[in-house]
Amino acid sequence: MTATVAPTVGPGRVPEPLPELIGQLEQTWRDEPGILGWIKSVDHKSIALRYMITAFVFFLLAGLQALGMRAQLARPENTLLGPDLYNQFFTVHGTTMMFLFAVPVMQAVGLYFVPMMVGTRNVAFPKLNAYGYWTYLFGGLFIYAEWWFLNSGPDVGWFSYVPLANSVFTPGKRADVWAQGVTFTEIASLAAAVEIIVTVFKLRAPGMTLNRLPLFVWAMVVQSFMVLFAMPWVATATQFLAWERLVSTHFFDPTRGGDPLLWQHLFWFFGHPEVYIIFVPALGMVSSVVTAFTRRHVFGYPAMVLSLISTGVLGFGLWVHHMFATGIPQLSESFFTAASMVIAIPTGVQIFCWIATIWDGRPRFTVPFLWVIGFVVVFIIGGFSGVMVASVPFDRQVHDSYFIVAHFHYVLIGGAVFPLLGAFYYWFPKVTGRMLGERLGRWQFWLFFIGMNLTFFPMHQLGFEGMPRRVYTYLPETGWGPLNLLASIGAATLAVSVILLIVNVWSSLRRGLPAGDNPWDADTLEWATTSPPRPYNFALIPVVDGRGPVWRHPEGLPVFGGLRTDVRDVLLTTLLDAEPDSRHRHPVPTIWPLHAAIATTITFVSLIYTPWGAVVGFPLLFIAFVGWAWPRGRDHREQQVIEAERPVEVAS
Amino acid sequence: MTGPRVVGSAANLPTTTFGHRSLVWWGTVGFMLIEGTTLFICAASYFYLHHRVSSWPPAGTPRPSLLAPAVQVVLMLLSIIPVAKADRAARQLDVAGVRVNLVLASLFAIAMCVVRGFEFAALNVRWDTNAYGSIAWANVVAHGTLLLLETAETLVFTALVFSPNLEQRDIAGVSDNSLYWYFMTGSWVILAAIVYLSPYLS
Repeated sequence: MTATVAPTVGPGRVPEPLPELIGQLEQTWRDEPGILGWIKSVDHKSIALRYMITAFVFFLLAGLQALGMRAQLARPENTLLGPDLYNQFFTVHGTTMMFLFAVPVMQAVGLYFVPMMVGTRNVAFPKLNAYGYWTYLFGGLFIYAEWWFLNSGPDVGWFSYVPLANSVFTPGKRADVWAQGVTFTEIASLAAAVEIIVTVFKLRAPGMTLNRLPLFVWAMVVQSFMVLFAMPWVATATQFLAWERLVSTHFFDPTRGGDPLLWQHLFWFFGHPEVYIIFVPALGMVSSVVTAFTRRHVFGYPAMVLSLISTGVLGFGLWVHHMFATGIPQLSESFFTAASMVIAIPTGVQIFCWIATIWDGRPRFTVPFLWVIGFVVVFIIGGFSGVMVASVPFDRQVHDSYFIVAHFHYVLIGGAVFPLLGAFYYWFPKVTGRMLGERLGRWQFWLFFIGMNLTFFPMHQLGFEGMPRRVYTYLPETGWGPLNLLASIGAATLAVSVILLIVNVWSSLRRGLPAGDNPWDADTLEWATTSPPRPYNFALIPVVDGRGPVWRHPEGLPVFGGLRTDVRDVLLTTLLDAEPDSRHRHPVPTIWPLHAAIATTITFVSLIYTPWGAVVGFPLLFIAFVGWAWPRGRDHREQQVIEAERPVEVAS
Repeated sequence: MTGPRVVGSAANLPTTTFGHRSLVWWGTVGFMLIEGTTLFICAASYFYLHHRVSSWPPAGTPRPSLLAPAVQVVLMLLSIIPVAKADRAARQLDVAGVRVNLVLASLFAIAMCVVRGFEFAALNVRWDTNAYGSIAWANVVAHGTLLLLETAETLVFTALVFSPNLEQRDIAGVSDNSLYWYFMTGSWVILAAIVYLSPYLS
C-alpha cells in the first residue's frame, strides 16, 4: 500500500497523506508497548535520546568527581581525599568526560538529527545502532561498578601511560578496567560512525546533493571518518596493554625489546584526533544556531566545508606535540610545532565566517545564541594557549603543569560544551515539543560563563607558578592557596549553573510553552516535521532543491511519494546527486542487539580475569549474531509482504 | 493552504540492489576501513619495534617457518574462485549457483582456520618471549579475528541460502560477504609477507 497525498500543507512543512495512511505509518513505525517494547526499539530517536540521557548522567558523575577534586585542592594540605582516592577521581573524571560523555553525546546528537536533517526515517543500520548504545551503557556501568563495588577504579590517568600502567607498577585490576572499559566505548563509537556515514551517503532526501548538506551534517560526516581512522589506534593500544598485563607480552617492556614510547604514539595518534572528534560536531552545531539566529545562511559555505575537512585531516598530524618532553628528534619537534600552528587556520576561517554571518544577519540574542557567543570567547582563549604550547621551548616549561589543565579545559569546554549547551536549547523544543525557560536559561548561561572562567583562568597562573597537575595536595609555602580557592569557588558556580539547567528542563517538561514545529524559524529539514517527531519522521519524503529547504518553500515542501506505509520502507538515493535509486526494508524492533551487547560484555569482562574468557565469549557472540541476522525473527506482517514480493525461487 | 507538489514516486524502484547501490555494501566498506586501520596499526607497530633493535629476530630467537603460511596463502588465493563465483551467482539471483559456491567457500574457510593454528606454531616464538614474539603474534591474532568473523559469516550465509526463509536481500548479502572475503585474503598476503618473510631480510 502506498501513500496518497491529501491537500493539506502548513508553512515550510512536509505535507501529510490521508489520516488513515498516517495511522498506518504510525502503526508500522512505532515501538512496541511496554518495557520490552522499549528495550527492543530500533528507532534512531529513542536510541539517541537514551545515549544523550546516559551521557548526561555520566557528565554529572564526572562533574561530581571534579567538585571532589576542587574541594580537596581548595586549601593546602587538605585531607578530604587521600592520594589513592584522588588518583581514581582524576582518572575516572577524565575517562568519563572523554569516553563516556563527550564523544557519545556528540554522536548521539548526530544520531538523532542527521537522519531528520537529510530527510529520512531512520539511520542506515538500526540494529547496529541499538547494539552500539547497549555496549556503551554496559561499558560505562562496568567501569563504575568496578570502582564502587570492587575497589578497582582506574587510577593511572586517562592516558594510562606505561610503565606506570603495567602489572609491576599497577598490580590488581585497575588498569585492566580502564583498558577494557574504554574498548566498550570504542565499539559503540565505531558503530555510530558507520551509521552516520552510510545514512548521509545513501539515505538523503532526493535532491539533497552534497553541496546542499547542512553544515552540521558535514561536521558529523567528518567526525565519523575521524572516528573510523582514530578509534582503532586506541582499541589496538588498549588490547596490547590488556595482553601485556594478562598474558605477559612485551610490547612496552624495554628489557625485552619493547618500547614504552610505542604506547604514547599509539595513544596519541588516537588522542589528538579525539579532541577534534569532540570539537568538529560542535562546529556544526554552531553553524546551525548561527544560521537560525541571524536569519541568513552561513557566509562562505565552501570555505566552511573545506575547513571542516581540513581540520579532520590535519587533526591526524599533531599527535607528537603531546610527546615534546620525551626526547624526540628535533626535526620532528619542528614539524609538529608547524602542524600544530597550521590547524589554527581552518578554525580561524570558520570563526571569521561566523562573524561575517552575524555581521550581515539580524542576530537575535536568545539563549542558544548566547552560548555561541560564549563559545567564540572561551574557545579563542583556549586556542591562543594552544598556539603557545605548540612551541617546544614553552611546552617544556609548562608540561604537566596546571597551565595544560587550563588550556585543555578552555578548548574542550569552550569548544564543545558551550556549543553543545547552545544546541541543547536550540533542539530541545524539537525533541520534546516544549520550549526551555528563557530567563532561567540566561541565568544558567551567565553562571556557567563566569564559573568556567573563574575555575580555569587562575590555573594558567598556577601553571606558571609551577603547580603540577595530578597532585592531591600542596604545601602552604607554595603560595598556590588563594588561586586554588578561587578555582574551587568557580567550580561551585559551575555546579549551580548545571543545577539550574536541570531545573529548567524539569519545569519545561511540566509546563513549558508549546514549541510548535519550527519555533526558531530555522531552515533545515528537522524543522519541517512535528515536535516531537513521529516515529517515521516524515510521512512523505521531502524533496530538496537548495540549501535551507524550509526557507525556500514557505508554502510547503515538494515531496516524493510511493513508499509503502504498511512496512518499514526507506528511500535510498545516489551518493553525489541524491537521485532516487531504490527502496530498502528497515528492520522491525528486535531484542538481538541487546543479546549481542550482553555477549560482548561477558567476553570483555571475563577477559580481564582469564584468557579463557575468549573461549566462552566468542560462541556467545556467534549465537547472538546468528539470531541478529537470521530472517526467522522478522515480524509476521512483514513476512507476509516479503512472501508476496519474493521473486527468488528457493525450492530445490 | 495550497496543495502539495508531488514530484516523483518510489513505487517502482527496486528493493534489492548490489554493490555501491546497497546499504550493506557501504556498511561492509566501513568495517573494512576499521579493520584495515587495525591491521595497519599492527604492521606499523611491528616495524616500529623492529627499528628499535639491531637484530631481528633478536639473537637466540629462530626465524619463522614458511610452510604453513605458504599453504595458507595458496588456500586463500584459491578460495577466491568459489567466492567470486558465489558473488556472480548472487548478482544473477542464481540460488543454486550461490549454494554450491558457498558450500565450497565454507570448506575453504574451515581449512583456513585449521591452517591458522599451524601458522601460530610456525612463528617459532612465544608471545611472552620478547617484543618480537609479542608483535608477531599480535599481527596473526588480529588477522585471525577477521578470519574467524568471515568464517562465521560464511557459515551463516550458507545455512541461510538453504533455508526456506531466504529473501532477495539475503542474496545481496552474499555479494557483500564476498567483498569482505577479498579484503580478508588480500590483507593476509601483505601481513604474511611482513610477519614471515621480513625476518629473513634483516
